[in-house]
Amino acid sequence: MTAPDQIARLAPGGRIDRSRTLSFAFDGRLYHGHPGDTLASALLANGVMLVGRSFKYHRPRGIFTAGPEEPNALVELRSGARREPNTKATTVELYEGLIAQSQNRWPSLAFDAMAVNSLLAPFFGAGFYYKTFMWPPAFWEKVYEPLIRRAAGLGRASAEPDPDIYEKSHIFCDVLVAGAGPAGLAAARAAARAGARVLLCEEDFECGGRLLSETHEIDGAPALEWLANTVAELKASPRVTIMTRTSLIAAYDGNSYVALERVNDHLAVPPPHQPRQRLWKIVARQAVIATGAVERSIAFGGNDRPGIMQASALRSYVHRFAALPGKAICVFTSNDDGWRTVFELAQAGITVDAVIDPRASVEPQLQLAARQAGAQLFLGFEVIATHGGQRLSSISIASGNGQPIELACDTLAVSGGWNPALGFTSHLGARPQWSDEIAAFVPADLPPGLKVAGAAAGKLTLRQALTCGAEAGARCAEATGYTAAQSPAPTTGPEFSAQTLFWQAARTRGAAFVDFQNDVTVKDVKHAAAEGFTSAEHLKRYTTLGMATDQGKTSSIVAQGILAATLGHGMDAIAAPQARPPHVPVAIGALAGAHRGKHFRPARLTPTHRWAESEGATFIEAGAWMRAQWYAQTGETDWLATVSREVTTVRNAVGVCDVSTLGKIDIQGADAGTFLDRIYINTFSTLAVGKARYGVMLREDGFVMDDGTTSRLAPDHYFMTTTTANAARVMQHLEFCHQVLWPDLDVQMISVTEQWAQLAIAGPKARDVLTKVIDPGFDLSNAAVPFLAAAPVTVGGIAGRLFRISFSGELAYELSVPARFGAAVMRAILDAGAPFGITPYGTEALGVMRIEKGHAAGNELNGQTTARDLGLGRMMSSKKDYIGRVLAGRPALLDPARPALIGFKPVDLTERLYGGAHFIPMSAAPSPESDEGHMTSVAFSPTLGHWIGLGLLRRGPERIGERVRAYDPVRGNDTQVEVCAPVFVDPEGSRLHV
Amino acid sequence: MSDVTLDPDTPLQLRTKPIGLVAPGAAGVTIDLHEGLEIASVAARKNKASELSMFCETLVGAALPQGPDRLHRGPVTVLGIGPGRWLFLREGSAGLADELSDALTGLASVCDQSDGYVIFEVGGPYARQMLAKGVPVDLHPDAFGPGDCAVTSIAHIGAILWQNDPAPRYEIAVFRSMADAFWHWLQISAAEFGLALGPSLSPTVETSHG
Repeated sequence: MTAPDQIARLAPGGRIDRSRTLSFAFDGRLYHGHPGDTLASALLANGVMLVGRSFKYHRPRGIFTAGPEEPNALVELRSGARREPNTKATTVELYEGLIAQSQNRWPSLAFDAMAVNSLLAPFFGAGFYYKTFMWPPAFWEKVYEPLIRRAAGLGRASAEPDPDIYEKSHIFCDVLVAGAGPAGLAAARAAARAGARVLLCEEDFECGGRLLSETHEIDGAPALEWLANTVAELKASPRVTIMTRTSLIAAYDGNSYVALERVNDHLAVPPPHQPRQRLWKIVARQAVIATGAVERSIAFGGNDRPGIMQASALRSYVHRFAALPGKAICVFTSNDDGWRTVFELAQAGITVDAVIDPRASVEPQLQLAARQAGAQLFLGFEVIATHGGQRLSSISIASGNGQPIELACDTLAVSGGWNPALGFTSHLGARPQWSDEIAAFVPADLPPGLKVAGAAAGKLTLRQALTCGAEAGARCAEATGYTAAQSPAPTTGPEFSAQTLFWQAARTRGAAFVDFQNDVTVKDVKHAAAEGFTSAEHLKRYTTLGMATDQGKTSSIVAQGILAATLGHGMDAIAAPQARPPHVPVAIGALAGAHRGKHFRPARLTPTHRWAESEGATFIEAGAWMRAQWYAQTGETDWLATVSREVTTVRNAVGVCDVSTLGKIDIQGADAGTFLDRIYINTFSTLAVGKARYGVMLREDGFVMDDGTTSRLAPDHYFMTTTTANAARVMQHLEFCHQVLWPDLDVQMISVTEQWAQLAIAGPKARDVLTKVIDPGFDLSNAAVPFLAAAPVTVGGIAGRLFRISFSGELAYELSVPARFGAAVMRAILDAGAPFGITPYGTEALGVMRIEKGHAAGNELNGQTTARDLGLGRMMSSKKDYIGRVLAGRPALLDPARPALIGFKPVDLTERLYGGAHFIPMSAAPSPESDEGHMTSVAFSPTLGHWIGLGLLRRGPERIGERVRAYDPVRGNDTQVEVCAPVFVDPEGSRLHV
Repeated sequence: MSDVTLDPDTPLQLRTKPIGLVAPGAAGVTIDLHEGLEIASVAARKNKASELSMFCETLVGAALPQGPDRLHRGPVTVLGIGPGRWLFLREGSAGLADELSDALTGLASVCDQSDGYVIFEVGGPYARQMLAKGVPVDLHPDAFGPGDCAVTSIAHIGAILWQNDPAPRYEIAVFRSMADAFWHWLQISAAEFGLALGPSLSPTVETSHG
């Protein structure tokens, strides 16, 4: 269905490109607009004013602003996977094929069933939710919350994956200028002329700010000439970057800022490989905030009716977009600037019927000019009520106690004065200060490197904006080492900017809204004050005022004014609430950038990854690493069968496993041995060259930090291994210990994790296999390379290192070769091992074998266990000091009743064990008091043919042979288990030494 | 030697077809691998920094950089990667780490890192804009040039970055295990500018379209 085309479009003028016509749809109806339109201006040009329903009362709402402060005109933009709720029609740039839907209405915008809430308004006052849904508590989760969630919320997000891409980027500059209105442009130009690197961010798609929406003169010429010249000069400078469609959203410490660039939101679909939005991290040595001011609303009865809008918004729609929202226009203003509306509209040939100003005395020049433009003046009058259904039809005005007068009116321009846009200035903790001069809060206590210029600083005239913008730009350039020339003072036409305190019509009739988006009324504010919520921060939270997507940009100040008046305070007694980032809503996608899906974090691949993939390995994430979990052979469908086969093959023949993910740290220096003695609980300075030793290190608080094997390669050269999970943490710990605790030691460490591929070859046939792989001339006999030997070797002429260490409990080696040869050595080992029936094995088999051997690993090194808890107490040297020694001696850590590592097997050997089950005595009722520890690791042992477990049990080592229950209420298991020695296979360790 | 012969692996393991490929002439960003470099880390022993630096003058003809700087002399590049720490790079496979280790006995701790890093070359008219998507370092010519080096993190991947010439052409060393993840980030970041692959990278990635 096609609507009559652009019935409310003014014939000439506007910054729209009439040579091109764009089609768009709103609530299923087809309309037309032009490039340069926003969705809001295009709707108005087509005579559409009703665009949404309010949050709580479902009242009809129209377009109130022409910018990002919009509280009402929220739409669902786009369709399908790109559907985005709560999009401000006032900031959406029109594009061909745009599709938008109104929100918060059912079944249709014009007839909304939930509007019945409006009749219940007396019950929905401030604190309604807090009071009503308090009791009974059990009702909250099951009844109240789902009910509220269904009724609340504006719009629906798409449930499909976001098809667009997002990215982040970094930019550095000497001077950041936020806002390309007159002040920002003057600042950027002054800084650029001084030679500074300048970044100018503008939220709109066009630079110019108010110059786009009003008629001004600068230096005797139309301001648009100044605008064009200034933008051209900035664009021509290689040291200036201008980013339009870019909102500064946060200021952070260290002179850093974040901005959101809507790179392709003005298109239906972004071009290939281009992001929809880009999140910029900006580092600016100096910054000028020139984000202008926001026109505030006035509270009066029925002030939310469609057809009522900011005076400045009406000027924008007429002047910039050539869209005339109505035919019978009145202005309700409490300040001089609102009168400008009369003159701007007159220039477009439109007469404003009446100006209502509560001030009894107004600048005579303004009065004269307004009368000449055909407006009737009502000084000392207020708007006390409005009338109409889904559109304003008339207003009631009154003076003092006088009889109300009704004026026919379909469009009411409202101006309560201007609030500096304070957002960023308080992100770092500064509180704005009240200024009696302009009756508004102005920025104060600015952090270093931040300046505010123009209307954002409370300098409300164009002349002031240009002057203080240029000044701020010049000072910032100088602060970054450039020399700025004095710029001549600009001249402008006559300007009137007096503002007074005026928050609400005194004789108001009907609901007078303060916060349109969250439906907070004057009554709610007074109600909250009466209940004791007398600070602005409490008022906000109690009434939800200013907590909607518009963050109360047009309304919070009105509420604060009414609060102050209610309490009989001056405005300076009100602590203005501080704004927090983000300044405008940000899509989660923009915060994620490229890091989504499987690229959420970078995956680390082992040297044999590609080979393992070709072998059909199943992978598991181990931290950032992708590790082979098992290698299923053709016909194997059950992972347990595969893992059991791998374990059995290792125990009976031989297997090979990539253990390159273990942290590897090269430690050198004359004091390397001393250093390690202080790091580990056991001694390493006495370790012979060519030997490896298992070591345990504690945190300063006495708990185990990590374990691993460290070898001595030369008198001043050690090679440490850490667990995969703790590699980075241990490296950091070592660096901290050296740099902070013992800088006097001659020791240097560097991570060589990535340099070496490390392959574990385990099983009774391990030596037979290695003999075929390692170059001849290396004696691998048990005498030459005994258990815990470390020796240099070569493989195919490539230098490597051989360590005889074993995690599986079998005859085992770890062979290190440069990483690029890892896969080749893996293949060579498998070739050599084929006659012995070799198998590659993954992390699961590795885990089964370490549980069979009772070795502690990640589940046991959980940050809450001591060396004693893990049965490693005897390793704690009494002959030296080491990190964690003193605090490991705390009485509570020596308590023999602490849970300690021990083994478990099910009493009924056919039963399965579960990790995480808690141990309770056989006859006790499950309770925190009867809890005696928990099962940390379980595995099916193919060697024993039943499930086995390791766990931490109170006095565990003293209780071998006892039975306890492994109680697992989460999965509904209650299993009788027998406490047993934690080493299930080859307890004598005889296989290690063959 | 045993009969074992070892073929070295390519630095990239996942053979996916890159996105955003265009003809080399139309590319905004060109990416290649810099293979065939030997890499060794050198850390000064206690109180030996000045002696080490002097020794370096005789070895490469200039003092060791004392900050995040890049020194380039003949076949050797030296990068300052931390206080008292450098990365030496040299074309070839003549045993740089062993040479340095022997020459610097008592002065420095040397480790072979030739397999630890994969080095990417990034050039082209949009190289700077593309790198800005991940590099939290100011790469404007005012701030970063061919004499500079940065140890940083790019898209959550630890990286050493330096500039070779003003064109600009950058080199970025990342740990080998992260090379594939980094390559993915490079591609998606370069795609909008048009990506061309250098001679070392083309055969590695274009063998299959996984």
